[in-house]
Amino acid sequence: MGETALQRETLLRASKLIKRFGDFTAIDEVNLVLQRGEIHAILGENGAGKSTLMKMLYGVYVPDGGALEMQGKPVTLHPPSRARSQGVGMVFQDFRLVPALTVLENIALSIDRAGFLLNKTKLAQQIADISERYGIAVNPHAYVWELDLGQQQRVEILKALVQGETKLIIFDEPTSVLTPHEVDAFLAMLQRLRADGYGVLLITHKIREVLACADTVTVLRNGKLVYRTSRDQEMTEEMLVSQMIGSAELPRAPERNQVVLVDEVAALEVEQLSINNDHDVTLLTGLNLTIRPGELVGVAGISGNGQKELLETLYGLRKVKSGSIRVAGADVTAGSVATRMERGVVYVTEDPIHESVVPGLSILEHMVLSGMEMSKKGLDVDWSDVRQRFDSLDVVRTLRVAQADRLVETLSGGNVQRMVLARAITRVPKLLLIAYPSRGLDIATTRATQKLLLGLREMGTAILLISEDLTELFEISDRIVVLSNHSLYGPYDPADTDPYQMGHIMLEGDEQA
Amino acid sequence: MIVEILTGAIRAGTSVLFASLGEVVAQRAGVINLGTEGSMLGGAFVAFAVTYQTGSPWIGLLAGGLAGLLFALIHAFLVIQRRANQLAVGLTIIFLAQGLTAFMGQDYVDKQINGLNPIAIPVLSDIPFIGPVFFNHDILTYLVFLLVPLIWWFLFYSKPGVLLRATGEREEVVFSLGKSPTLIRYLAVSFGGLMAGLGGAQLSIAFTHTWVENMTQGRGIIAVALVIFAAWLPTRAMLGAYLFGGAQALQLALQGRGLEVSPFLLFMLPYLLTLVVLFIVERRKVSSMPESLRKVFEGERGGG
Amino acid sequence: MRRFWIGLAFVLSPFVLFALFLLSQGANPLESYQAMLRSAFGDWYGIGEVAIKSTPFLLTALAVAIPARAGLINVGGEGQLMIGALLTTWVGVFYLQGVPAWVGVPVLILMGALGGAIWGIVPALLRQYARMNETITTLLLNYVAFFTVGYFVHGPLKDPESFNWPFSPKLDEALRLPTFGSTRVHIGFVLAIVAALVVWFVIFRTRVGFRLRVIGGNAIAALQAGIKVNRMQLLAMVFGGAVAGIAGMIEIAGIEGHLRPMTGFGYGYIGFLAAWMAWNHPLWTIGTAFLLGAISVAGNALEMTSGLPSSSVSILMAFILLTVLAVGRGSKAS
Repeated sequence: MGETALQRETLLRASKLIKRFGDFTAIDEVNLVLQRGEIHAILGENGAGKSTLMKMLYGVYVPDGGALEMQGKPVTLHPPSRARSQGVGMVFQDFRLVPALTVLENIALSIDRAGFLLNKTKLAQQIADISERYGIAVNPHAYVWELDLGQQQRVEILKALVQGETKLIIFDEPTSVLTPHEVDAFLAMLQRLRADGYGVLLITHKIREVLACADTVTVLRNGKLVYRTSRDQEMTEEMLVSQMIGSAELPRAPERNQVVLVDEVAALEVEQLSINNDHDVTLLTGLNLTIRPGELVGVAGISGNGQKELLETLYGLRKVKSGSIRVAGADVTAGSVATRMERGVVYVTEDPIHESVVPGLSILEHMVLSGMEMSKKGLDVDWSDVRQRFDSLDVVRTLRVAQADRLVETLSGGNVQRMVLARAITRVPKLLLIAYPSRGLDIATTRATQKLLLGLREMGTAILLISEDLTELFEISDRIVVLSNHSLYGPYDPADTDPYQMGHIMLEGDEQA
Repeated sequence: MIVEILTGAIRAGTSVLFASLGEVVAQRAGVINLGTEGSMLGGAFVAFAVTYQTGSPWIGLLAGGLAGLLFALIHAFLVIQRRANQLAVGLTIIFLAQGLTAFMGQDYVDKQINGLNPIAIPVLSDIPFIGPVFFNHDILTYLVFLLVPLIWWFLFYSKPGVLLRATGEREEVVFSLGKSPTLIRYLAVSFGGLMAGLGGAQLSIAFTHTWVENMTQGRGIIAVALVIFAAWLPTRAMLGAYLFGGAQALQLALQGRGLEVSPFLLFMLPYLLTLVVLFIVERRKVSSMPESLRKVFEGERGGG
Repeated sequence: MRRFWIGLAFVLSPFVLFALFLLSQGANPLESYQAMLRSAFGDWYGIGEVAIKSTPFLLTALAVAIPARAGLINVGGEGQLMIGALLTTWVGVFYLQGVPAWVGVPVLILMGALGGAIWGIVPALLRQYARMNETITTLLLNYVAFFTVGYFVHGPLKDPESFNWPFSPKLDEALRLPTFGSTRVHIGFVLAIVAALVVWFVIFRTRVGFRLRVIGGNAIAALQAGIKVNRMQLLAMVFGGAVAGIAGMIEIAGIEGHLRPMTGFGYGYIGFLAAWMAWNHPLWTIGTAFLLGAISVAGNALEMTSGLPSSSVSILMAFILLTVLAVGRGSKAS
């Protein structure tokens, strides 16, 4: 591939871009230049500002400061339809697809050209041509709901490529939905795009992929550009990691007291558990897992690998396909949610705003719903007793739960999360199933939450914790298991492993298992 | 007798088919309109009254369609703009239409009009069996025969059609494409109302040539239910509507022969039939119901 | 202050709309409203009539409100009332001749409740086992109920002495609901108010009601709290249907004395309006049912003074509910 003059043409130049949300500056004077035929990786931890930056380039957000140029000309990119017509395409992490429509129909929708007719034959041919050129085959007449995540991503890529104006494609964490095999194919496709003169912006936090394909790397931290390097300069794994997290060393786990396991009966025993998803297709199969009282087991994995469904099944909200679940020695495989609640199982969902908030009910009423004991008074709940106990609860103060009479639907996301956590741990559960407890919380509350979980653990609660934050898992878990490729790997001792190894298992599974 | 029942099925089912086709489009965009019953009733009355006053069934037909559209616009405004409960609004519109038409229609009961009469299509109508069943109807029946493939083609082979379906499934995708789901829904609901109005008009000025208080008798509700049975496909809506028509025709044929069955049991037939077909299709494992509708039925957060 | 005026405008708008409608029909709106008010509230007779009229509306409104609290839209009050009336009449006419009131009346109430409950549980079962939407099934079943009543009063339940009129035989005098003094107001009215109070108490002052409200608020949260959502929804439909069925019993034993094809016709739908106007709050339904009862009674006055058909008041009712629905979520309701 010869380096022609055309290929060095500057596609995009962003100067001193700023984006604020209220008092919070999400992107602070970031510069970015992208050439034709260049793969530029944007690296950073969660919350570093990668997505915000890309959404400005794709026209979702209007920058609060700075300038944008496409091919030397100043441009405005908002709204996205304008960005598209200027040649910017984006492949989102949460796909913008309509599951009930076919691949072809989804692609047809995204084409901005006017016209009444669909002309399926012509479009199908166009899709076939592009698919072949970039090695991203997908049946244009299949319904999107029939496709797996990797194939859906191909549809998103096709959407960008079918649009003739596209010169630059932004990928938002593209490999998080791909299997290792697919990752290889994906990287090959990126090379092809580069060869054809497309500019590629790749948002990711996976350093190995960056090393494998990027021409240039920009590292963002707390909204600032902290580091930039390119292939012809130094570009090592250690360097990039230390720039991402701000210090060369990984944060060490806080002091964790060893819990003496008095109780010999496991709090949770799962044997050969298999679960189907909503479309009745196997999601997880052959799971074995034991959690003893006073043990905190963390679940790592790329989201969408069955985390939510696993917790729902353990809690009795979802049917078991095969296998058995025992709680404190008693078989609850076929039991209801109520039987589990009686045995001291508590569940904290990953989406409390939609799944836990009941409009019209106050915090007090939510506390009683699960968690606080529903003291009786005649046919009614003894609300004054509940209120007294609520006011004297330590967790309520620690987690700064809002006043008892506030309607929960008026609370912010963080406050809902606080309430949900408070009621989950108020009664010291035997088994706590908890998903993403620190999502939407500030650092201080996150730390407080982690302390509370460790406190529960010392009181003998068995905890199954799902988190997308590997650092958090390493800090507080006794053992870590990984959900990947329809299976559960592990448990691993955090002392014997490191986040890189976990990341590898998250993607490819564990051959030794 | 078979020819009589089949012909009767088409005569009686056409008004329902109009309304069903309109609802296919509206529900594909994510709005369910029980007010279809109200639109039909309004269309039936206005078409009759205007035909009586002007002497022209064509002007009557137009007015009937517009009346249906007007009722649908009330629904669209409250549901799309004010986010009111779709099912409750639809029911209220039925109520409103029943009141309005009963009120304004009292002077028109027992009046005579020159409505739309069956037109035998030359040559085709002479074919034995098929001829009388399919080719000896009023012009609206022929129109609806054409509309079935036309709407099917629109939904699956035109860009606006795909956009409309996308609106009923994932409005955020449509929004991210820079299109307005609100506008698309308004258009779809209006079309549904227009079709229901035409269906009502067919009932009063082409099928029966009379105006009777509350003459639609739940046909609009059946039309809505049949759309679910039809899995939101125009072709299957046709099957459903003429199945309904068949039940009606059977009832008339049996009555005409003085059979010893209570007419009331026969009157129930179309409603029971609708329930039975719904029962059969709703047991399907994978439902093809548009996602927005599922939210209406299952309640985004309950019934409030 | 500004909110007050906006609120007032909303309250008045359906009446203004209806006035415009009356004007368009050549009636004087002021005179009409005056006549309507006088007929409904001008004397004790009028108020008594309103009480009688609003009794079934209140009960059918409760039949909507109870399932609504569990997240279900029951439009079947109409059919549930009719089947309740049918069963009441059937048992009353064939099995309770000569039975003393203290046995007969409670049995009839039970029969009414049973009839309504049957017509309520069918859509609930269809929802749970065949995923059929209860709004549509209850609507369709209303027609089936209507024709079922038609079948019985033209056939097995027809009074042989009715000269071909489709009436059932009269209920025993002993089985008729007692009235207050010389008025037509019967104890059914008290029964309905008590029912509303009981429903309110159960929903807002008991643990069962608490669970019900959780289901109506967010069924997923209810499942996660271990509440048996399906069973509670089934119960809600059974009780809702039973209450509507009792309305049918009261129509027979309190007012008409026998079953006609049109007994209770339209009451279920008016009850639905009353419930939604009250945001499905059982105590507020007392007010809205009374208001709709007053409008119904006033409709007869309208017919006499302005020559407008009594059906015209259903237009006013629809205007009122459309306004309530339009204000809807804008204000903090439910």
